[in-house]
Amino acid sequence: MQQFLTTALNGLTQGMIFAAFALALVLIWRSTRIVNFAQAPMAMITVYVALVIIDAGYSYWLGFAAALLSGLLLGAVVERVAIRPVEDKPHINAVILTLGLFIVLHALAAVIFGSRYRSFPAPFGLSGFKVGDMNIALTGFGVFSILAVLAVMLLLVLLFRFTNVGLMMRASAFNQEVARLLGVRVTRMLTQGWALAAMVGSLSGLLIAGGNLVHPAYMDSVVVFGFVAAVLGGLDSPIGAVVGGLILGLSLSFVSGYIGSEVVALAALVILMVVLLLRPGGLFSHAPARRV
Amino acid sequence: MLDIRDLTAAYGPVTALDGVSFTAPEGKITAVLGANGAGKTSLLRTISGLLRPTRGSAYLADKDLSRVPVERMARLGLSHVPEGRGVITELTVEENLRLGGLGRADRAKPADMERIYTLFPKLADRRHKTAHVLSGGERQMLVIGRALLATPKVLLLDEPSLGLAPRIVAQIFDLLKSLVESDGLTIVLVEQNARSALSIADYGVVLNLGKLVVHDDAAVLAADDKLRHAYLGF
Repeated sequence: MQQFLTTALNGLTQGMIFAAFALALVLIWRSTRIVNFAQAPMAMITVYVALVIIDAGYSYWLGFAAALLSGLLLGAVVERVAIRPVEDKPHINAVILTLGLFIVLHALAAVIFGSRYRSFPAPFGLSGFKVGDMNIALTGFGVFSILAVLAVMLLLVLLFRFTNVGLMMRASAFNQEVARLLGVRVTRMLTQGWALAAMVGSLSGLLIAGGNLVHPAYMDSVVVFGFVAAVLGGLDSPIGAVVGGLILGLSLSFVSGYIGSEVVALAALVILMVVLLLRPGGLFSHAPARRV
Repeated sequence: MLDIRDLTAAYGPVTALDGVSFTAPEGKITAVLGANGAGKTSLLRTISGLLRPTRGSAYLADKDLSRVPVERMARLGLSHVPEGRGVITELTVEENLRLGGLGRADRAKPADMERIYTLFPKLADRRHKTAHVLSGGERQMLVIGRALLATPKVLLLDEPSLGLAPRIVAQIFDLLKSLVESDGLTIVLVEQNARSALSIADYGVVLNLGKLVVHDDAAVLAADDKLRHAYLGF
């Protein structure tokens, strides 16, 4: 029983972090039909910004805010400088470009921040809560992670559903030409979409970093799981991304806990294959199957 | 109201419009007719800026549109409903309508939205459904309603009858006619279906291979047997 609970709680926390990363991918995919391979290193850079601030003696929360803010900025800059020139070219150009960006940002981080392992603090406890005389696998920081991702998801839903900016962003994502004819400044919406996505990516970076070691490649192992979570959810649906993240987090945690941690990556692949066989568009798609 | 002067445009090396000039009179319906590939759609796309003219220009109340970004056209009072209807099927009916109201200088008020729902009761029933569930006729009503919410002076409509049953087409054309009378709207209507377009239009323009063949009162065009046989197919 205790092992079951521990595994489930671990999976929940892990899943929420996958969800945040998947959410960032989904935001960009929705608005530009580009899979942003540079998401992980972009987030990594902003986490280093936080680390520099925290190491300089300022509070964790100042670093946290600075990371999110620099995520916003970095997203906008990347869209303006790198993506904009290839926006009207075939999507594959932009996708390859984000792969290039992946390498460039990695190298840049190594040059600026060094490539050694540095520990990143966590604002809340990292040991499990005590229930009676049992230690459960839910930590203070884990609870914070779950709440933070839920809050971000809620804010995004509110933004997209109920605000004019959100409506214009969605219109730009679905049909650029019609949106422009209706007076929507599509290019501005795309920049905002990237900024928002990079900020959510930053959040996932901060949550992974908390209480762990940070180095230029520390996010890379999450990339695969984040992608799987996003595709599980249908790539188009923010709620799908979160559900995809949770499904993946929980199943991988059970696989790792009951079968063995060495088959985790294989399990992720199997889950992805099964879902795509049953629902080619992902769990939350209502559009016809995607062309990949 | 809408002045087209020497309008010329091309897709790469292919000329789509070649020195087209005419005036769409204010508060009237102007039908743009011609066979497939005559340049009708290109004409509308060039007016609204989706395609940039290589020569000449369109003028809306004497304002040169050739340098105005597409995104600004709605605010200037030009609404373009593109071919294939342009419903954003992923959004709800109400969201599509809300979008129409965002493009204008003063944001649309709830009363404006209610007016559209009164004009099109079928849309009111489905306001919170995604536009995906609408029939072809309902989609056409939605895009016309959405365009009206931007309070345009000039409405460009590309093949509103495409794929619709004759009864629905008649409904939509009646509605356009009444909008011209009630709102003083100027409509430029691109149509393949020349006979029914000329029946509601006041003025007509015939294009062939990107060039203007003739422009005259709709009644005159409809009475010209040679023209009808050569270009209009009825």
